[in-house]
Amino acid sequence: MARFYLHLHNRTGLVPDEEGTELPDLDAARQIAVDAIRDLISEEARSGLIDLRGYIEIAEESGKAAVRIAFSSAVDLHLGEASS
Amino acid sequence: MIERHFMKLRARDEISAEEEQAIRAAVSEVRDYPADRTFIRSGEELNCSTLLLDGLMGRYKDLRNGERQISELHVAGDFADLHSFTLKHLDHNVMTLTPCHVALVPHDRLRAITEQYPHLTRVYWFTTNMDAAIHREWELSLGRRSALSRTANLLCELHVRLGLVGLADETGYDLALTQLELAECLGLTSVHVNRTLKELREQGAVDYRRGHVMLLDLDLLRRIAEFDPAYLYLDRRAR
Repeated sequence: MARFYLHLHNRTGLVPDEEGTELPDLDAARQIAVDAIRDLISEEARSGLIDLRGYIEIAEESGKAAVRIAFSSAVDLHLGEASS
Repeated sequence: MIERHFMKLRARDEISAEEEQAIRAAVSEVRDYPADRTFIRSGEELNCSTLLLDGLMGRYKDLRNGERQISELHVAGDFADLHSFTLKHLDHNVMTLTPCHVALVPHDRLRAITEQYPHLTRVYWFTTNMDAAIHREWELSLGRRSALSRTANLLCELHVRLGLVGLADETGYDLALTQLELAECLGLTSVHVNRTLKELREQGAVDYRRGHVMLLDLDLLRRIAEFDPAYLYLDRRAR
């Protein structure tokens, strides 16, 4: 287990994660980040504005290089009309 | 520390010295649990109810993938599972969120209270009704309130509930929840909770960091939450 910090960067600015979360590995942290992005987008969808320009930066307590998860990578977008 | 239980009850009704003595005598033992301990599991046969003397607990249900929904928080002075007296086994789990000091009240002693003290029976019926009212408010939050309003509502609710037992004042209160636990109350992810808390802070309503809720503008917080304390039944009257 290691402590990971998920810092949010989006249109509201930076939301630093000061507390962190104990997780087995980086893959688990990636999954948490993807779930968080989908959660944030779902709230935005209710308000009528979806902004996919943000990202979550995953930092390990050990100070290892951070990983970025882009909002746009967390969802597939199908635009245009549905073919019925 | 059982005084907090009497503070909670006496905020809503008169409790006589004799009734207080009966409740005190119903406690069979006191225990300490560490944080993050699920001490009641759904389906398990129960023969006593747990009165929380100090600490914070949550009722929760979970899914196979490990996702958890906390459906109510318990503060000092609450029975965490008075309803197990009639249900005998629960449809949900109960866990400690902080280290907890508890009193155990065997169901046979609760039965004796119901037989000898009809007024206390009504008071305890009232408190389980109040738990149901809290669940309904959370249902409104989870189903309809925005993340911001939902978070604000929970912080308003805890301010009132902790205030009744002397653990909050007009400036704020201690709340040792992790981001994840707060997220599990609010049906959000911890990152989303973090962002929502930042927004409440930037709007000047409340600053919740490092285990302390600092109320910056309670009226504003209540407006954001559409908080109406009526569901906490704060009127003192004969039950």
